[in-house]
Amino acid sequence: MVKNCISCHGVEKQKGGLRLDSGASIIRGGNSGPILIPGKSNESKILHAVRGKDPETRMPPEPKVLISNDQSALIATWVDQGAFIAKQDLVASSVVKKTPSTHWSFQPLVKPIIPSDSSSGWVRTPVDVFIYEQMRKEGLSPAKEADSLTLLRRVYLDLTGIPPSQLEVDAFLNDKLPGAYERAVDRALASPRYGEKWGRFWLDLARYADSDGYEKDTGRPFAWRYRQWVIDALNADMPFDQFTIEQLAGDLLKNSSAEQKAATGFHRNTLTNKEGGADQEQFRVEAVVDRANTTAKVFLGLTLGCAQCHDHKYDPISQREYYQFFAFFNSDTEVNIAAAPLPGEQELFAKKQQEHKSKVDVIKVSLDVRKKELGKDLADWAAKLKPEGVPAKLKPVISVEASKRTDLQKNDLINHRVSLDEKAKGIQKQIADLEKAAPAPTMAQALALGKERKTNIHIRGDFLRKGVEVDPETPGVLPAPITKEKLSRLELAQWITDKENPLTRRVIANWVWHKFFGRGIVTTLEDFGTQGEKPSNPQLLDYLAFTLGDNNWSLKSLHRLIVTSAVYRQSSIVEAANFKKDPYNIFLSRQSRVRLDAEGVRDVFLSVSGLVDQRIGGQSIKPPQPPGISELTYANAVKWNESKGLDRYRRGLYIWFQRTSPYPSLMLFDAPDSNLACVRRERSNTPLQALALMNDVAFYECAKSLGVSLANADLPLEGNIRRAFVTCLSRFPSESEMVQMKNLFDQFRKHYGSNADQAKQVLGNGTDLKGDVVLSAAWVAFARVLLNLDEIIVRD
Amino acid sequence: MKDETAMIRSQKLFDEYCLQGRRSFLTNQASGLGLLAAASMLAENKVQASGSDLSPFAIRAPHFAPKAKSAICIYLEGAPSQMDLFDPKPKLKELNGQKLPDSMTKNVRFAFIQKEGARILGSPRKFAKYGECGMELSDFLPHIATCADDIALVRSMHTEAFNHHPGQLMMNTGTPNFGRPSLGSWVNYGLGSPSQNLPGYVVLSAGRGTSGGTSNWSSGFLPTPYTGVLFRNQGEPVLNLNNPSGFDRSIQQASIEGIKNLNALRNEMVGDPEINSRIASYELAFRMQSAAPELIDLKSETKQTLDAYGLDRDEPELKASRGGGKGQFHSFASNCLLARRLVERGVRFVSLFHASWDHHSNLDAELKQNCLMADQPVAALIKDLKQRGLLDSTLVIWLSEFGRTPLGENRGGSANVTGRDHHPFAFSIWMAGGGIKGGQVIGKTDELGWNITEEPIHINDLHATLLHLFGMDHLKLSYKFQGRDFRLTDVAGKVVKKLLA
Repeated sequence: MVKNCISCHGVEKQKGGLRLDSGASIIRGGNSGPILIPGKSNESKILHAVRGKDPETRMPPEPKVLISNDQSALIATWVDQGAFIAKQDLVASSVVKKTPSTHWSFQPLVKPIIPSDSSSGWVRTPVDVFIYEQMRKEGLSPAKEADSLTLLRRVYLDLTGIPPSQLEVDAFLNDKLPGAYERAVDRALASPRYGEKWGRFWLDLARYADSDGYEKDTGRPFAWRYRQWVIDALNADMPFDQFTIEQLAGDLLKNSSAEQKAATGFHRNTLTNKEGGADQEQFRVEAVVDRANTTAKVFLGLTLGCAQCHDHKYDPISQREYYQFFAFFNSDTEVNIAAAPLPGEQELFAKKQQEHKSKVDVIKVSLDVRKKELGKDLADWAAKLKPEGVPAKLKPVISVEASKRTDLQKNDLINHRVSLDEKAKGIQKQIADLEKAAPAPTMAQALALGKERKTNIHIRGDFLRKGVEVDPETPGVLPAPITKEKLSRLELAQWITDKENPLTRRVIANWVWHKFFGRGIVTTLEDFGTQGEKPSNPQLLDYLAFTLGDNNWSLKSLHRLIVTSAVYRQSSIVEAANFKKDPYNIFLSRQSRVRLDAEGVRDVFLSVSGLVDQRIGGQSIKPPQPPGISELTYANAVKWNESKGLDRYRRGLYIWFQRTSPYPSLMLFDAPDSNLACVRRERSNTPLQALALMNDVAFYECAKSLGVSLANADLPLEGNIRRAFVTCLSRFPSESEMVQMKNLFDQFRKHYGSNADQAKQVLGNGTDLKGDVVLSAAWVAFARVLLNLDEIIVRD
Repeated sequence: MKDETAMIRSQKLFDEYCLQGRRSFLTNQASGLGLLAAASMLAENKVQASGSDLSPFAIRAPHFAPKAKSAICIYLEGAPSQMDLFDPKPKLKELNGQKLPDSMTKNVRFAFIQKEGARILGSPRKFAKYGECGMELSDFLPHIATCADDIALVRSMHTEAFNHHPGQLMMNTGTPNFGRPSLGSWVNYGLGSPSQNLPGYVVLSAGRGTSGGTSNWSSGFLPTPYTGVLFRNQGEPVLNLNNPSGFDRSIQQASIEGIKNLNALRNEMVGDPEINSRIASYELAFRMQSAAPELIDLKSETKQTLDAYGLDRDEPELKASRGGGKGQFHSFASNCLLARRLVERGVRFVSLFHASWDHHSNLDAELKQNCLMADQPVAALIKDLKQRGLLDSTLVIWLSEFGRTPLGENRGGSANVTGRDHHPFAFSIWMAGGGIKGGQVIGKTDELGWNITEEPIHINDLHATLLHLFGMDHLKLSYKFQGRDFRLTDVAGKVVKKLLA
């Protein structure tokens, strides 16, 4: 065995979870269970394997090496004689030792020493020291600071997702005291828009959607309650460890609140397959697989899912460990909480409920009154009834003399009379209608512990092929949790955020950094394993990770540290010298120009055109979309009922996400499909995006609104153009830009001057116009150009 | 820096960019991707772009000489019944109403069939031999039958998935999981597309929506530009193609020019090559605004052609819950014709979807209706391509996610059996043109059509063969994502040599 087997089943590798280098592990067997039955060699897998003829299943697999007949006979004899293992061998080898991994990300996180500052004044924060050190080594020099308006727009887009308002720009320009920028940062961080912007980032990881996915793709009318929780938690700067624990195990916290249960909606965003004839167990297992994989990917940066079918090819994670991790989620059940009131909603709900109850009560009284009325001449009325005209139950009653009827019989008669009485029926309907419209509390999707379910290894990832049973446990390559009899999801969450865990803080700090620079310190945000990229600046990463934990896991503090740094404040202008040395800007000798995310594109359009709805949170909305989109869903089952009023103008993160027919302008700008956690979005640049920004109903509505407001402003041409430009781009136009724009406007004015019918078409009916139609149409066309500039959808 | 060549290439780009001025990049391609992102993506995945053109649709060399340049994939969503169309099983008729031996249904998971009362359902279809090859086909397909000598019929396809959405993902993306790129995305990623004014991957749909929706033509983890672009056969062919009311072509041109000039000024300030991609995208969008309507405008087609495809045939009334409603005949025929027009204009991959063929009940009437709709235009497409000399370089495929059971469907124990359930163990597809050896039948099933007895072909094998026809080795066409090299064929797939001409 030593010669033939242990290169695959020994200390280094344990294929199929099997070790053959110790007595105890031979007896224990592998992932699919024991390999031998003492006394029965013919029924023992080990002998089937070594004697087998099928090259696919035979062991050892290489055709050259074969276990000789003598050798296999020896094994058979040993098995038949009872597979005896000396006691000391069983004891000595029962502890399976694992070689500790030397991979960087698994090493303990210690606070790095900040190098001495050699920057001659460039450095603003400790972050910059690490950056400068490296830049110097690479022969790069930092870019100059971005001009103040660019910086303001940048930090507003990064923290709130919308450009600074005209008021904010003015306040900023008028703040001449030192620290004006830092004060603007604080205002942005305090804005409730922050929770929307960073909430959307988080929803990518949570694979948030408003429908089940798969064929039926049924809507999830309360999915948004989880989104609301995310927005509120981020706005409140909930410490990230708590943020993690509540989402993974809020339901298991002592006396958990409805709010904490709503947080577990994180793992309710898994797909549900309601297709007729689907095997429900198969898709339950798939949801559990997704919960395990997502948890590992989001918080630990591990590609745990690679170990679902076999031991991880590259990272020290065995298939057994995969199912130990899977076991944390395997007993969970999906529950919908009947009442998960939003903060402040409870009192309002109680009041509404009371009001509603009194309304119903009043009408119920009128029903009683009517009943009494009908009861007055009951005997006379009943006398006219014929047996064939009444329900069977009443037939004997009407034949009884009126005075001899029991109360029960009288009651039956009244009820019959009520059922025939138009007035009473009207009242009853009123009551029924009212009850249907009873105020309902907000519901939430949550996870809860169900009946305990045993977990087996799934051989080759197939849930129908059950291997040996395993208990919940964390991967052995990482520090073990404080031991407990049987670990639950709560202990898993606590272990994830434990200070001994080297991964979580690194992964989250890297994720945050990525959002501010368009690139992570580790570029493979989702893979901190051996196949991932190494950190470009390991000291910086550890500094950020350590600081996050040290500052009570405050994300806002981490943001502030980053956005006030000199490296963040650099200009994004590409300088040839630095570009040649570092084309991907790995060492950050400038800021990067980053195209906005899909929702951000919409948010900017809505903001600069003044249409954006200011309300935070709430249900998902369905803004106008081109015809023929929902028709792509299974049997055209999805109905897209366009939102009305202010709901049309809500920010992108509130758009109802229908998994099989997502809102097209989101997808055009690389929004994730929400089927799996997405840690990093693509940023494509396509003609279909151009067509959408020019012509899509929702985007054009913004252009039109901006154009009309420009037309209605009583300003001289140049002043109006400048105002439009500043509104859109938060900066002043250069002279040559001004010349271009004036020419363009002139062209548009001339065009519509000689095509007045087109001008009328542009404005349509019902536009509130102060000025002349031709000029107004020219302003709309002009606004459409402004909103299609590259700069509009880019964070500089 | 992971890849030296990527770095060198992007340096070269920047030099060129500085030398040639701002308008030299990405002028003619159907789509853009972040320039550096493209450089990085292509280099990391060892895909060789020609020259300095890093557009995702730049023409790239295949691994070896290709047979196919384009593909038209006709996807009959829901699973057409193979024993009523392609795989004659007289034995079923003989045993009609009898029970299958338990040993055959043991350990089999059905979507709807109740094992206890399930009985064999014979097919009333008449099969005859067609072409010189003598291919046996059903009387529901009289037109396709005339193309028998161009067709390679596979009767031994098998898959794992037996529910529609996972099955469709399996057939279109190679695994039953979400998030993988579809066939058309892979082919365009590997080869680029010669089309100048149209996207490299176009999707046309008729009937009602499919189970898979847009995931059937998703680019998965490949960059978004590789997503199939949905074209419509009437009205606005591409989403947002038409300008808002009151914007004619001249003001649109002035607007695009204005956008370009202002973007160029911005670029002088910030020096970001990405702005050039944006400029190119707007210019291409403008060209597409005339190319796409030209594409769907069938005025230049002769009456003979239109009649051959059957654009204006009568559409019999059939009240059926799973039909796509009135107008499908015209829609499906137009899509077949548009597929040829797209291929003529250099589009790399065209996918036609029609839903639904999921005949759990009322099979005879509804399958007849669907075949009446599809048979003539599909045959016309093959003949039209052939006559124009395009069939040799255009692969035409007829496929679906799985097949249907030899057992009648007794959902809920129903005795009124008029349809068949899902069957993943053996089903039929066919291919023609593009390097396929026509006039042959591959694979055999047992006399009940339950299991494959000869030459089983898995979906991964089919995909490996498809890539092979395009001159690509399925083992080499990979994309690095989340620490792993992913392939269309996942971890399996063998080229089916017998299919090749």
